[in-house]
Amino acid sequence: MASVYIPVQGSEEEVRVVVDQLPRDASDILDILKAEQAPLDLWLIIAREYFKQGKIEQFRQILEEGSSPEIDEYYADVKYERIAILNALGAYYSYLGKIETKQREKEEHFIMATQYYNKASRIDMHEPSTWVGKGQLLLAKGDVEQAFNAFKIVLDGDRDNVSALLGQACVQFSRGRYSDSLELYKRALQVYPRCPGAVRLGIGLCRYKLGQYEKAKQAFHRVLQLDPENVEALVALGILDLHTNEATDIRRGMENMQRAFEIYPYCAMSLNYLANHFFFTGQHFLVEQLTETALAITNHGPTKSHSYYNLARSYHSKGDYEKAGLYYMASVKESNKPREFVLPYYGLGQVQLKLGDFKTSLLNFEKVLEVYPDNCETLKALGHIYIQLGQTEKAHELLKKATKIDPRDPQAFLDLGELLISTDAGAALEAFKTARALLEKGREEVPVELLNNIGVLHFERGELELAEQTYGEALGDGIWRALIENKSLPYPIDVGAYIYQYKDSQFFHRLEEQGFTVEVPWNKISVLFNLARLFEQLNNTESASILYRLILFKYPDYIDAYLRLAAIAKARNNVHISLELITDALKVDEKCPNALLMLGDLELKNDDWVKAKDTFKAAKDASDGKDSYATLCLGNWNYFAAVRSEKRAPKLEATHLEKAKELYTKVLSDHKANLYAANGAGVVLAEKGQFDVSKDLFTQVQQAASGSIFYEMPDVRINVAHMHFAHGDFPLAVKMYQNCLRKFYYNTDSQVLLYLARTHYEAEQWQDCKKTLLRAIHLAPSNYTLKFDAGVAMQKFSASTLQKEKRTVDEVRSTVAELKNAVRVFSQLSSGSNLQFHGFDEKKIDTHVNYCKHLLEAAKVHCEVAERDEQQNRQRIELARQVSLAEEARRKAEEQRKIQMERRKQEDELKQVMQQEKNLERIKEQWKSSGPATKRKDRSHFEDEEGGNNEKRRKKGGKRRKKDRGSKSRYETDEAEADIMDDHEDDEDGNINYGDRSNPMNDQEDEGEEKAQDLLVAAGLEDSDAEDDDVAAPSNISRRRHAWSESDDDEPQQRQPQSSPNGEHSAEMQLSDGEVGGDDDKFNADAAADDEDQ
Amino acid sequence: MKLAGLKSIENAHDDSVWAATWVPATDERPPLLLTGSLDETVRLWSSDELTCQATNTGHCLGVVSVAAHPSGVIAASASLDSFVRVFDVDQNNTIATLEAPPSEVWQMQFDPKGTTLAVAGGGSASVKLWDTAEWKLIASLSIPRPEGLKPSDKSGNKKFVLSVAWSPDGRQLACGSMDGTISIFDVPRAKFLHHLEGHFMPVRSLVYSPVDARILFSGSDDAHVHVYDTEGKSLINAMSGHASWVLSVDASPDGAAIATGSSDKTVRLWDLKMRAAVQTLSSHTDQVWAVAFRPPGGPGVRAGRLASVSDDKSISLYDYS
Repeated sequence: MASVYIPVQGSEEEVRVVVDQLPRDASDILDILKAEQAPLDLWLIIAREYFKQGKIEQFRQILEEGSSPEIDEYYADVKYERIAILNALGAYYSYLGKIETKQREKEEHFIMATQYYNKASRIDMHEPSTWVGKGQLLLAKGDVEQAFNAFKIVLDGDRDNVSALLGQACVQFSRGRYSDSLELYKRALQVYPRCPGAVRLGIGLCRYKLGQYEKAKQAFHRVLQLDPENVEALVALGILDLHTNEATDIRRGMENMQRAFEIYPYCAMSLNYLANHFFFTGQHFLVEQLTETALAITNHGPTKSHSYYNLARSYHSKGDYEKAGLYYMASVKESNKPREFVLPYYGLGQVQLKLGDFKTSLLNFEKVLEVYPDNCETLKALGHIYIQLGQTEKAHELLKKATKIDPRDPQAFLDLGELLISTDAGAALEAFKTARALLEKGREEVPVELLNNIGVLHFERGELELAEQTYGEALGDGIWRALIENKSLPYPIDVGAYIYQYKDSQFFHRLEEQGFTVEVPWNKISVLFNLARLFEQLNNTESASILYRLILFKYPDYIDAYLRLAAIAKARNNVHISLELITDALKVDEKCPNALLMLGDLELKNDDWVKAKDTFKAAKDASDGKDSYATLCLGNWNYFAAVRSEKRAPKLEATHLEKAKELYTKVLSDHKANLYAANGAGVVLAEKGQFDVSKDLFTQVQQAASGSIFYEMPDVRINVAHMHFAHGDFPLAVKMYQNCLRKFYYNTDSQVLLYLARTHYEAEQWQDCKKTLLRAIHLAPSNYTLKFDAGVAMQKFSASTLQKEKRTVDEVRSTVAELKNAVRVFSQLSSGSNLQFHGFDEKKIDTHVNYCKHLLEAAKVHCEVAERDEQQNRQRIELARQVSLAEEARRKAEEQRKIQMERRKQEDELKQVMQQEKNLERIKEQWKSSGPATKRKDRSHFEDEEGGNNEKRRKKGGKRRKKDRGSKSRYETDEAEADIMDDHEDDEDGNINYGDRSNPMNDQEDEGEEKAQDLLVAAGLEDSDAEDDDVAAPSNISRRRHAWSESDDDEPQQRQPQSSPNGEHSAEMQLSDGEVGGDDDKFNADAAADDEDQ
Repeated sequence: MKLAGLKSIENAHDDSVWAATWVPATDERPPLLLTGSLDETVRLWSSDELTCQATNTGHCLGVVSVAAHPSGVIAASASLDSFVRVFDVDQNNTIATLEAPPSEVWQMQFDPKGTTLAVAGGGSASVKLWDTAEWKLIASLSIPRPEGLKPSDKSGNKKFVLSVAWSPDGRQLACGSMDGTISIFDVPRAKFLHHLEGHFMPVRSLVYSPVDARILFSGSDDAHVHVYDTEGKSLINAMSGHASWVLSVDASPDGAAIATGSSDKTVRLWDLKMRAAVQTLSSHTDQVWAVAFRPPGGPGVRAGRLASVSDDKSISLYDYS
């Protein structure tokens, strides 16, 4: 039993004080100490004993008494002990200050400590222990440099002073000079090998900081051997174990932490680590408790920051973003050095991103990126923010970097793909595919959205089979598979009900009754819709319709499905059902602009002009005028309104056109690249006669439109062809029309065929014109206008052939045949008009019939003439043949004669001469008798009406006639090899005779001709030049359209307004754009879903 | 079930070929293919070799339809000028020239017994029936005008009759019109029975199933082929797949398949059991105006044949098995 002996003053006796039994009241001891004037070291020993026993009050009381002025006086020469007492007090207060958390008390304690140390210094400036104490105090105050100096003074005096060595080591550690610190600790240990565990703790920490984890571990273990309850060592070991990232080590680490916590529950570090652990195990309540305790007990910035971070993380994972944000913020404030503790910045960034505060989120993530420039997660997050902020280029750059750094991160590829969708579909597809491959490689489930996106991209690139396959994979198994593949599901529908086929959902009810489960998971609707859309593209309309109906059966609010069904019905001309479907769609959302626009389109189709206009206006309002398609539709409406009416009111027409132009221009100013608006503007300009400008426009639009399956615009090509036509470049126009027909209409569009026929007509290619019209009739049998046009073409062909001054018999014969056909066509139309088949005026047709009949009669005469001509020709040829025969005979005879002559020369010359003369005579006789054609004068004086007619026409016709004449003269020179003189004579005779005889008839016929021309104008097949002179019919002037629009003007009754150059088709094209837009929406939705994943 | 290309004749006509049918075999010769074209001629082709046996002229404007008598002895051809020329197949003697103004002439078909020729009358909204013995017009089956339509109403011409088909028993006649409706007539009683609805675009081709007199196939500009039950007035199936107008439908003699020709330049073979297209042939470069299965019978004729003709002036022959 330890005891202290206090010597009794003036004797050899001692008072024995048993250490364990120190009196509770320190005054008793003090009294003894004072009374016996005990040496000061005894005071110190007793005070220390009190301290060891935790009796702090008594400890302080003794020491304070021991440092009181009277003691100073009394023991004035006992310096060392006095200093020791003061130093002990100083150390005590430094400790108090160190552990005190409240700032004010802390300061006070430090002041007290300083006072004691200063007092000690006054007793002896050079006492090393005072300096050590001062150094410790300065360290506690955080004044590292001053502490360094204090310790240095001691060490300069005694380089082996253990306390100073330890102090200095501490200083170096704080300065971050760990190897120096380690050296100092080692020295201390060498000097004083039995020093407490704390020294080894220092060594361990230095080693830890230097990255020598194994040695650090050994050091900590040694500490624990010396002091099994050393909290710091436990915590440090725990941390080391936790950082190994191996399950067993982590468990051991946690055990260490737990023990440390049990030994001393107020170590913030261990609390933080425990909290961290419980965060990962998901015990958020414990996390909060621990971190709150940690926060309450520590003042150390980084530790607090860590605690706040833990707390924030806990709230973050619970979804309380507001609180999480606050604590992250606190954490950031505590440390404020991203380089040391970057995690809260990341957390803060995430929370702010979640709360939609992109700008600040961006700043935080950028700070993280500064510290870790290659961190994929941060790059992705930043990329995402830049996407949200619309800075796609920056986003692209970052995501690209992310994929480069970690080419095995599917998420990065996903983000990159989504970013690229709108700009570079090909690259997007590649990114998505990579993401998919990575996911599959990692055995992760490939999200439906990703497959959907891949499918859509394939679809947009026209890779329909790949798209179908992808959609199929996205959908997996379900009722749809049965619907698509198992077509043998019988569903006979009453025909009466069948017209409702696109609205029928009974089928699904029946399926349910039959025990099938008709279910569609919500995340597969988009895929289903896209698949249906694909089926449409593959012309598998029936499957598409079933899928759309399936969607509607389960999700009756899916407007797009209604619209597609309506579009299918419309494509099949089932206007009624289409309208009903649109109405259903409008029931879901009465302001859906797409539905309204489609309704307007259908109303146009139904010829409800006023209604359509209102609907278009409603659509425009519903979209706040932002939807350029609505504006475009209104523009089209105005254009149609301008050109549709049969009885033109020039004023109205002009206002409509002006309005149309205004609307197109508005769209163009909003969207510079809107092809449809540009096309419309071109049409209006052309309508106003500004061909050059509109031609430029059309050509540009055409160039812009080519090359994409979504922007191919047949209308604009047709318009360009119209322009060529208007410029008189017929061959090019023909080529363009034909290309268009083949490329866009499967050669089935009779309207385009009509344009083509018209071009042939203008180019005077009658047979081509006729053939084209016949094709058109074959395609559109009920369009009688085409028949009429064909009749006119044949009539025109005949007339022009008869006008020729030189014709072959075959030509005339075919003319006759053609005239017969024309007569037949016209008479059929004429008889048909009784039955109200079509809208032609019977009288007009009769005029045509009569004219053709007249021509026919004339042609018959021509035919006879021509035949006679031919006969004569034949005769002439025959004659020539005979002549040449005779010649031949003569030659032969002569030869013979020569031989004979030679033979007989010597026999009888005289006789020979006489005979020769006789022969010659005979031959001459023969010649005369069968001489040149005698009947030539009989040749036709019916070189016919075309003479007079021709003159009249020449007066009437403009330049085309001139060309005509030119070609005729060429023809003549070609033919001029024979009989020019004769023909001239004949012509003159003919003209005179004809003029005399048939003047009245000619006049009458001209009248007919004029009427006919009116008709031709109506049919859109008469050239505009001829009309120019037609002053008699002023109403026609307004109708005098330039060629390109003329086909719009013709066929007053039968023309469907929407089949004019741009119209319906552009509408449909636009519609498909709308769908694409819809798909984009889906992308967006997916992106949002991805956000949550992050 | 499959089609295999046998032979193709390019430039079989000078212009688009618009019509084709098979002339059944007679005792003297195997079946012949009869085609009509925009070049105003009608030609006869030997089977499998596709050599031109005869070129008949005499039509003006394009030849829009041809029909062969079941006996194989006579045939009829019609052109856009609305004349029907009936001729002796082997001799090419004109037997009769038919016209019924103001009615036009579109598709024609002889009834299975060969006593009547039915002619689609276009804008007259009627089908004309001609007696084949005396070539007299014996009946005009008119489609009743929809109620509530004024005579002056322009939509009156929507019942423009394009196509006709006889049921295999010869009792029923179906005709298709521009507005997509199909009208069914009871021929012996000369009575209109009912409409079959479902199409809303021109029905250019009709054919009854050779094995079931109730089943009618129709091809329309809406790119669909419909299968109707004419008695039950119900639509049994609607088959989609063509990208453009379906111009022609024919049923195989065994009744298991139909073939279609379309503006999308393809010929499709449809398996009726699977209710789906099993084959798509693209040997033509322009719209396919007619497809025709060769009727069975005749010396040495067993294998199935299908012929198709097109705007590209060519004829193609396929083996059907």
